[in-house]
Amino acid sequence: MLPAAAKYGYLNAKVRALRSRKLTQEDHHFLLAAKDLPACLSYLATTSYSSCLPEFEQEAPELRFLERQLARPLLTDYAKVIRSLRGAKQQEVILALFRRFEAENLKILLRAQFAHLTREAVSHLLYPIAHISRLPWETLWACTSIQQCIDHLPPDIFGRSLQNALPQFDAQGRLFPLEMALDFSCFHLLWEAIYGLGKSYNRTVSKNIIALYIDILNTLWVIRLKIEYQLPAEEIVNYTIPGGNIISLTCLNSLARVQDITMFINLLPHSFHQQLSEIKDWGNIDRSLEAYFLHYLARVFSGQPFHIGIAVAYLLEKEIELSNLITLLQMKALNFTIKESLARLSWQLQENGYVPAS
Amino acid sequence: MFRPVKLTRVTIQTPEEHIAEVMAIMGDLRLMHLIRVEDTPLGHMGYVAHVNTELLGRYDALLIRVNNLLEALQVSSQPPVISQTPRPDKLIFRLEEECTTIEKDSLETLEKKQHLHSILGAHQALIARLQLLAPLEIEIERLFALRYTTFQVGLIPEENFQRLQTSLDGIQHSLIPVNNKEGRIILLAMALKEDEAILLRALKSAFWDPLELSTSLQGTIPSILAKLSTEKQEEEKGLADLEAQCKKLAVQFGGKLLLLREELLLARQLLLAQEKFGQIDHTYLLSGWLPKTLFKELQQRVMAACAGEAIIEQVDPAHVKEVRSGILSIPILFNNPALIRPFERLTTLYGTPTYEEVEPTGFLAITFLLLFGMMFGDVGHGAVLCVLGYIIFKKIYRYIDYGIILMECGLSASVFGLLYGSIFGLENIIPALWMHPMENINYFMTVAAAIGVAMISTGLILNLINIVRQHRYQELFSASGLAGALLYWLLAALGVRYFLVGPPTPFEIAVAKVSSGLLFTLMILQRPARLLLTRRSQHKKGPLLLQGMGITFLESLIDVLDELLRYLANTVSFVRIAAFALAHAGLFLAVFTLADMIQHAHGHGFFYWLTLLIGNVIIIGLEGLVVSIQTVRLEYYEFFSKFFRGGGKPFQPLFEKKRTPESTHNHN
Repeated sequence: MLPAAAKYGYLNAKVRALRSRKLTQEDHHFLLAAKDLPACLSYLATTSYSSCLPEFEQEAPELRFLERQLARPLLTDYAKVIRSLRGAKQQEVILALFRRFEAENLKILLRAQFAHLTREAVSHLLYPIAHISRLPWETLWACTSIQQCIDHLPPDIFGRSLQNALPQFDAQGRLFPLEMALDFSCFHLLWEAIYGLGKSYNRTVSKNIIALYIDILNTLWVIRLKIEYQLPAEEIVNYTIPGGNIISLTCLNSLARVQDITMFINLLPHSFHQQLSEIKDWGNIDRSLEAYFLHYLARVFSGQPFHIGIAVAYLLEKEIELSNLITLLQMKALNFTIKESLARLSWQLQENGYVPAS
Repeated sequence: MFRPVKLTRVTIQTPEEHIAEVMAIMGDLRLMHLIRVEDTPLGHMGYVAHVNTELLGRYDALLIRVNNLLEALQVSSQPPVISQTPRPDKLIFRLEEECTTIEKDSLETLEKKQHLHSILGAHQALIARLQLLAPLEIEIERLFALRYTTFQVGLIPEENFQRLQTSLDGIQHSLIPVNNKEGRIILLAMALKEDEAILLRALKSAFWDPLELSTSLQGTIPSILAKLSTEKQEEEKGLADLEAQCKKLAVQFGGKLLLLREELLLARQLLLAQEKFGQIDHTYLLSGWLPKTLFKELQQRVMAACAGEAIIEQVDPAHVKEVRSGILSIPILFNNPALIRPFERLTTLYGTPTYEEVEPTGFLAITFLLLFGMMFGDVGHGAVLCVLGYIIFKKIYRYIDYGIILMECGLSASVFGLLYGSIFGLENIIPALWMHPMENINYFMTVAAAIGVAMISTGLILNLINIVRQHRYQELFSASGLAGALLYWLLAALGVRYFLVGPPTPFEIAVAKVSSGLLFTLMILQRPARLLLTRRSQHKKGPLLLQGMGITFLESLIDVLDELLRYLANTVSFVRIAAFALAHAGLFLAVFTLADMIQHAHGHGFFYWLTLLIGNVIIIGLEGLVVSIQTVRLEYYEFFSKFFRGGGKPFQPLFEKKRTPESTHNHN
């Protein structure tokens, strides 16, 4: 315990300090209560997201130009967490988690190449990651073809996976194989980093968090590929991410084959059942699973505090907060009512609702 | 050398039928800076540019064909220099015919080679695929003969294998791993024919990279591989024969093709130059700047080519209306000897001189070499720079100018090395013809300041010449003009007197005080006085002292003080020559001390010499760079700022004359 306290004491303090800057119940309340997008952004300007909001006096900025900028605090937190860690192996775990954002930007770059769009045309879709990313972005953006881009990538996991997926891209004439290769390689890297921690409490906590994250992600992907894309089961299973803990490959295979939502929920592990018991609609599963995951992450903070899992949990928690915030802003832009908005968010407002001071 | 080439404005009016001949003549003369007629007052009179796009298209198409041939035959020698420019409209016929002839003789061989190359490539790919399947000891035709079963051979990432198996749970299937390659499994996947679609979908989603096999393959894989290897060897032999034939063709046609390309490029450039011509009905008008010495030749040739039907006029730049009114500026064509020409790059980096200004490259070259040599004086280091410069001069055509500069700098450093008695920092091998800098620090600093006074004085004289040439007489009384120069020389003379003879006499001091006071007053008053005179010349009435005159006086006072302070700072700045020469010697001291220490520590002479070698390399690299930067700084800020305004336009000849190491241009 004492060596762990010495090693992760600073990280623990740092993460808890960062966590205190998350949106509070009061913030949730006023963001939800805002009458429209400008009002919502005005309130957001009083929170820790103020630094990424442009100054606007008359018209609110277009949301599509704002979405990626809102990720700035999260990405800054990544840099801060990485700096708070002493060991290279521990840093690798957080960097591996971060590389998902690099992968997203790479996808945008590939899409831009594919559609012959300039960097300026898609710049609003890029995460502001220049301060952490090690990829040669200037060189990559100067490339004139997808093949050239991939050739210029360092020969790490991204470069290798994309090279391997190139024949499928050429054969299918679509970016899907390349994008899937990037997603797979992100999690591959994450697992490599976690296993690099050695047999320790650190590894167990991080492994459990990431495994649950993958389980939830796989479940949501199965639903999406099945319902939205109507893909056959034999394809869906191949598009799931390896590394889940409680949902096996066989279970995913069965989930891909059932059509009824009740049967689908019954096939899921028992631990999910309580959270999903009242779900009658495919569209509501994601926010329930997200809420389940948030509860799990919250529990990480209540146990032994000196481990890297606390940083992983915080960063994922913050990421979900960002995703909910963007959903909320989108709904405000579309003039949804509070009730309609609540139905699409995983914030537990009704349970732990803000009570205004009287 | 100190003036650009004298130019004359030439206007040629020629009937349409002779324009091609005129263009050819211009191509031969090369040194014509065309003015776009549409941009001159003639453009408003209806003269418009007309490029023969059809002919240009023919040239472009032919250029592609010639380039393809050159690439296919791998011709890469130096292009020839063309001495005579034929008419572009006639030339195209000859060039097309010549290209067709070469194509007729070489295309068959080239196509055969390309075909064989692609066959060989396909065979190599098939061999590579089959080698992956070598462990699968099965006859390929038996797989193709299966009636109820379908099969696929290919690669999948190792991590996808388990998911692929799970995804095929619903159908009868068999997945047989055959081999491993770079994290991927070579797999033989089989399923019932009726489940082929499911198998293909599952494989596709598992990032399947199929290995295409042909139904024509008969036998086991080792036997097929043996057969293919024999075929490949034959193909390689055939390809080698064809390559030998291609080499012969390259020898036979290479020179001709290079000449063709040069002619094409020249003619194409001529056609593009038409954009600057003016055309009205059936008459063409060309206008531009030409070296005065070439006008007679141009006139004779144009008149002869047009059978006297052309009108050709020349106007002296001073009489060109647009030049006088400032609409048009005369381009500047440098006129320097070969050894000074590379320094034009440094001049143009600062600015392009105007036609009336003194062309400063000559001064720059001389002073640059002097300053560099003084700061970097060492026979050995100079020799190294000379050798480096020679290598660049010989090997890197692009940087030939820098090669020459480096050689000259090396030579200068060597000369000063002789004067300082220094070879690779060793000062006891040859006697110093002048002095050892480290032993004469004060003297060296005085010399450096004297060089500063001399260079600034030169700058001031050049400025006076520029003032007179550009008729800026009002500047004569300013601090940067004659008045400022006189004051500077007065103070400099006092300084020289002090250092050479001793303190000035009271009388000399009194004279200096009165003269300085007068000059100072003149410099301050000249601007307000000019303002008043201008007002008077415009016949404006009103009070004698204008509103804001106080401010004008104050501004004038500050300007004068600023300028005079700058004279002082510029002069003192030259002391850096001595400082860097001393730094150069000081670095040697450090290197020798270090070498001695290392020798004592290791007790071995090898390390002593190794340290000296590394130290010298560092000094040459580091000090060479620093001294170059300091020299450029002195040239630009201390010297050029005194007289050089720039803002001129470079002369853009119709064609750049090819520069080879053997050829230099001197337009005198």
